[in-house]
Amino acid sequence: MIKVHKFLIAVVAITSFAVLYVWQQTEIFRLAYAGQKKALLYQDLVDRNNYLRYNIERSASLVRLGNDVIEDKAFEMPAAYYRLVSARNPHRSLRAQQQMPQRESLVFRLFGIKRQAEAKTINP
Amino acid sequence: MYICDYRCKSRAVFLFLFIFLLFCIARLLYIQLFRSEYLAGIARKQHNAFVELEPRRGTIFDINLKPQAVNVAAESLYAVPNAISDSQKEHIIQSLMPILQVDRAYLKERLYRNKSFIWLARKLPPEQADAIRAMNIKGIDFIKESRRSYPNGYLGSHVIGFAGLDNTGLEGLELYYDAYLKGEPGWALVLRDARQKKLDLRQKMMMPRDGYDLVLTIDGVIQFFAERELQKAVEKYKARSASIVVMDPATGAILALANRPTFDPNSRSSDKDALRNRSVCDLFEPGSVFKIVTLAAALEEQRVSEEDKFFCENGAYKVGPHTLHDHRPHGWLTFREVIEQSSNIGTVKVAQSLGPEVIHRYVKLFGFGAKTGIDLPGEISGMTKEPRFWSKTTITAVPMGHEVGVTTLQLASAVSVIANNGVLMKPYIVAEIRDKYAQVIKEFGPVEVRRVISEETARRCRKILEGVIERGTGKMARIKGISAGGKTGTAQKIEPGGAYSHNKFVASFIGFAPVDNPQIVIAVCLDEPRPYYFGGVVAAPVFKEVAGAALKYLMTKQATRQGVDQPRQVWHEAQAAY
Repeated sequence: MIKVHKFLIAVVAITSFAVLYVWQQTEIFRLAYAGQKKALLYQDLVDRNNYLRYNIERSASLVRLGNDVIEDKAFEMPAAYYRLVSARNPHRSLRAQQQMPQRESLVFRLFGIKRQAEAKTINP
Repeated sequence: MYICDYRCKSRAVFLFLFIFLLFCIARLLYIQLFRSEYLAGIARKQHNAFVELEPRRGTIFDINLKPQAVNVAAESLYAVPNAISDSQKEHIIQSLMPILQVDRAYLKERLYRNKSFIWLARKLPPEQADAIRAMNIKGIDFIKESRRSYPNGYLGSHVIGFAGLDNTGLEGLELYYDAYLKGEPGWALVLRDARQKKLDLRQKMMMPRDGYDLVLTIDGVIQFFAERELQKAVEKYKARSASIVVMDPATGAILALANRPTFDPNSRSSDKDALRNRSVCDLFEPGSVFKIVTLAAALEEQRVSEEDKFFCENGAYKVGPHTLHDHRPHGWLTFREVIEQSSNIGTVKVAQSLGPEVIHRYVKLFGFGAKTGIDLPGEISGMTKEPRFWSKTTITAVPMGHEVGVTTLQLASAVSVIANNGVLMKPYIVAEIRDKYAQVIKEFGPVEVRRVISEETARRCRKILEGVIERGTGKMARIKGISAGGKTGTAQKIEPGGAYSHNKFVASFIGFAPVDNPQIVIAVCLDEPRPYYFGGVVAAPVFKEVAGAALKYLMTKQATRQGVDQPRQVWHEAQAAY
């Protein structure tokens, strides 16, 4: 009787191990399919992002700008270096403008308020 | 009786099962011991697939790190003709014709081949691929590839060149640096399921080594100025072809190089002529721009000074069987005026006083008749003759740019000698080779070939060449607010019979600016311009426009680099200096 018990326990153990092994293998492949699907989707998004970047680069190329803007509107290289200043304070220097956001963000950071939402692009 | 029958039957069943079991065990043992290798091999073939991993081809950047050649994902469309019915093939042809913009015969020929795989279209842009995918046509599918794309179109196309369908460089830097750009492919052993679908579980793999990036000395903005002005001149004077080289005389770095006719590397035409990089591949007789060699030789050898006078025979000078002419009759001219007015007779008299050996020595010293060594494919060495092969009239031809063959790049390189105080620099077009992490793998810098003339001679030459623009034949090259020096050239072309043509000319101009501290050197050549053909009329304005715009741009760029608040000051200093 004891021998039968031992035999049954061994059979159950081996069967369980075999079932678990098969389940594990099945899971690996199931997850691999799911992962592969996501990887393909990710790659597709990266490729589309690259393509958009390429289109931006092409749209911003001098050939296009040169033909569309420079020739049509008689654009010339500036005779002196011009700087953009804010309309509110035309005397503020560019350097001062660059420093301004740091000061503001420090104050606002204390109260946990951001000046504005910022979107960042991630290089692939 | 009944029990006996039952036992017999059960024994029979047991015996049958036992024998079957023995058979199974024997079969298993046979498979395991004798057939295992063979069957495992078949299984491996079914489940494993060897995949080549394509490396990323390196990007080409200009000096401002603006991309000039990039990789864009593209999808290639294929069909399985053997698995498609005839009615389905007709449906595919009707559906794909308008999207792929190909004729019916092309698709029909491909789809009716007895094959299990055939390309229908390679490297389609995403819009086209999406449109086809949306139609959900059975029997066709896509494979992802990468396509070489050039965001700036024709800008710098002769320098950058292009890569073929298999991403192998075919022209320009794409060809010259192909070994660096292409990288090394990797491989992976992936699993395949029962439907032969690849599963991205890699058992073994070797990662591909991505190609290195190139950073050029070309400045996209100056390149644009050069291309724009060259195009205007070609259209205005209906020139057959044209080329321009803009160079930094101090380093030999090429800032811009353009040719006409040109091509867009994204959609190359079948016109082979447009693909030729004329600046380095075509030789021509340069005409009067070559007088800079006689000028430099005469001053360096101290045979002549600027104020020495020469009688220019009132426009006609008989040498042997030939009579030399000036484009305008001159009497007595100083050496300075000989160069300013581009007098052939005066220049020949100076050359005769120097002798063939000296002239030839300086021709070679200035780099003519030898490759400059620029890192572009197809460069030719030009043509010069040893003095022992000179005829009696060669001494009258070579000093004014005949009986020699040069390239536009050689002219730019030669005038750089005068602009940079007498040193011949090796022109180069790639500044750095970087890996994908922006680490510099190889760096290229200025290479001094040799000293050609002394600093003092170079300074004196610059002053005389400044006079060419201020008072001489190059007045149309005068740049407002900036001093410049240069030399015009108008050379008759040789007809097929060997005689000089009277209606076909090569107009050229070589120059530098500013005179005191030249920042750029430009060589412009236009082939067969009409109706005007003088270098001072046709090519000089191109120099003026390109040099003016490029110098303003370079000063702005320099000012921007020096700091936010300094540009205005630097600009004022620069303008005051000129």
